[in-house]
Amino acid sequence: MTIHRNFFPAAFAAAVFLAHSGMAIAPLAAQEQEPPRTLVQGRGVELTTARCVICHDAQHITRAKLSREEWAFNVKNMIERGAPITPEEIPQIVDYLATYYSRDSAPPAESAAAEAPVAAAAEDPAQRLLTANACIACHAVDRRLVGPGFREIAQRYRGDSAASELLARKIRDGGAGAWGQVPMPPHPQLTAADLGLMVSWIMKQ
Amino acid sequence: MGLRDILSALRRPVGVHPGEKKIMSDKLTEHRHSDSGITVTRRDFITRVAGTGAAVAAGTAGFAALAQAQGAPKPQAAAAPKPPADPAGTISNDAVKAEKVPEMQYHSERPLTGSVSAEHHNYAVTPTDRMFVRNNLLTPDLSEATHKLTIKGLVDRELVFSMAELKKAFPAVTLQGMVECAGSGRQNFVPAASGTRWLPTGGMGCPRWTGVRLRDVLNAAGIKPNAVHVAGQGGDFGVIATAAPVIRSIPLSKAMDSDTLIAWGMNDGPLPKVHGFPLRLVAPGWVGSASTKWLHTLTVLDAPFKGTYMDSSYRIPKHPVKPGERMPKDAVSTEAWPVKSMITHPAPNVAFKVGKPVLVEGRAWVGEGDIDRVEVSFNEGQTWQRAMINSGGDKYAWRIFSFEFVPKNPGYTTVLARATDSRGNVQPMQSTWNPLGYFWNAIHRVGFVVET
Repeated sequence: MTIHRNFFPAAFAAAVFLAHSGMAIAPLAAQEQEPPRTLVQGRGVELTTARCVICHDAQHITRAKLSREEWAFNVKNMIERGAPITPEEIPQIVDYLATYYSRDSAPPAESAAAEAPVAAAAEDPAQRLLTANACIACHAVDRRLVGPGFREIAQRYRGDSAASELLARKIRDGGAGAWGQVPMPPHPQLTAADLGLMVSWIMKQ
Repeated sequence: MGLRDILSALRRPVGVHPGEKKIMSDKLTEHRHSDSGITVTRRDFITRVAGTGAAVAAGTAGFAALAQAQGAPKPQAAAAPKPPADPAGTISNDAVKAEKVPEMQYHSERPLTGSVSAEHHNYAVTPTDRMFVRNNLLTPDLSEATHKLTIKGLVDRELVFSMAELKKAFPAVTLQGMVECAGSGRQNFVPAASGTRWLPTGGMGCPRWTGVRLRDVLNAAGIKPNAVHVAGQGGDFGVIATAAPVIRSIPLSKAMDSDTLIAWGMNDGPLPKVHGFPLRLVAPGWVGSASTKWLHTLTVLDAPFKGTYMDSSYRIPKHPVKPGERMPKDAVSTEAWPVKSMITHPAPNVAFKVGKPVLVEGRAWVGEGDIDRVEVSFNEGQTWQRAMINSGGDKYAWRIFSFEFVPKNPGYTTVLARATDSRGNVQPMQSTWNPLGYFWNAIHRVGFVVET
């Protein structure tokens, strides 16, 4: 029995949510807007990014709206699964998530978020990207963490005209082998402009 | 050469230890450095990561204490570096996506999750390039040549097979079977639970699997009388060394089911890397997490495995809770999928003509039992009509249903499909809310346009 049929142009496949009053069953097809690719600024954003955006993309958080209790459960669950979060850090991360990604209350106004102590560190756009994408969870400037230090990288590739492109590709696609076998995860969400900013900052270290 | 010869050649000189139970509880732990038959690749990976001081890397001075409190070995205990026997590596998301149809939608990059919507499932057997993707960790790049499967725990003899040995030792079986993520359809719940937001019909597929019966392998090892669960451990690993390995266990009854396989083939080809190459469990009809990918160790246990992927995830309340409430203490592990169906044709919002027949098609399935009937409604459930079903087929394969509908009136029209299983369970209007958003199986509905 041949099942596949191709009666209709693919354009029709575009799903549109059509609300029907009173029906409690599944929507026809929800077309979701893409959630933000970085966490919203606010108290605790750097710590939360550094601890969570190692194994997850930020959208795992930015598409969610949960109660404080559910966020606390998630953080506990992720610690069980190996998230490197200390007991002291738990309330800071849960507070951040429950404040900015709450089901029960709107996030604080922009002005309040801007007052958060992270603002100063995020002056340089390249550094902001390195923070927002959790690069700093595995890389420091002057020493080797999970991956090589930014200064080591800069030293190795200084004078190499192809280095910028190579490093940009490495950040985007991930890889392993250049500094050891620990794989670096891909970061396909980064644009060419972001990659350029990050690479030129790294090469200045 | 008979089976017995092969098995005796493979048999390791492992006796029955008087303290076998103790060995069980000590050895099958989730701990990152547990020497429980983990493949060389993974162990070397972990050792290397531990050597680089990943815990320090994350800037957590207190982490070592935390890890110790959880019983994880100290990083320095495993610091002795070994040359890699197999390059530790992963498959990039781009490489995975290159083998998938453009219609596949990705719900997250880390971990990678993707699925196609219902109208792109209109195949009798799910093609490999349409099979949903759901990783907990990275996609490991394992080698068939060096891969080993270990069977241990409450068995008369511990067995270790290479891929070639496994294929030779037991009869190969090919069957079609459902695999569906427990959280498939999660975003339909109100309030929404956290976790992968699958498309409304979710991440599922029904390909053909080729492998050996898990029960043949377990029988060859000899199951001890006090065995109740079988745990599968996968060779996938995370970005950081502390990531807990993915270990899930299934009851012995499911492990001994004739359709539960240790599979190396999918749709008559090898398993793609993202679907578990070179070896995976297929526990068809059950939540996808029961079908451990990148399988390297099976451990027979006298209780369900204790670990985060059993005790904190993949659980539902024994008795329903109010939406938004936390997981109660008496939660149970998710196992077989309840009865479910989806409409695969027509696609949403396609236009038809009055008087011209519309062939409504779909798939219906259930984790235990069979599909008894499928009904369709074109008036939002006021009246229902029986659809045709192609009954028969493999035990855990979905059933294809169809109904020829001749629109009499112009305008926006909906079709609903409702399946009933052989035990009398009917798909609900709304699935029972649960904190982690599992088992969404409510009636599927598709709208289309009828023109004059």
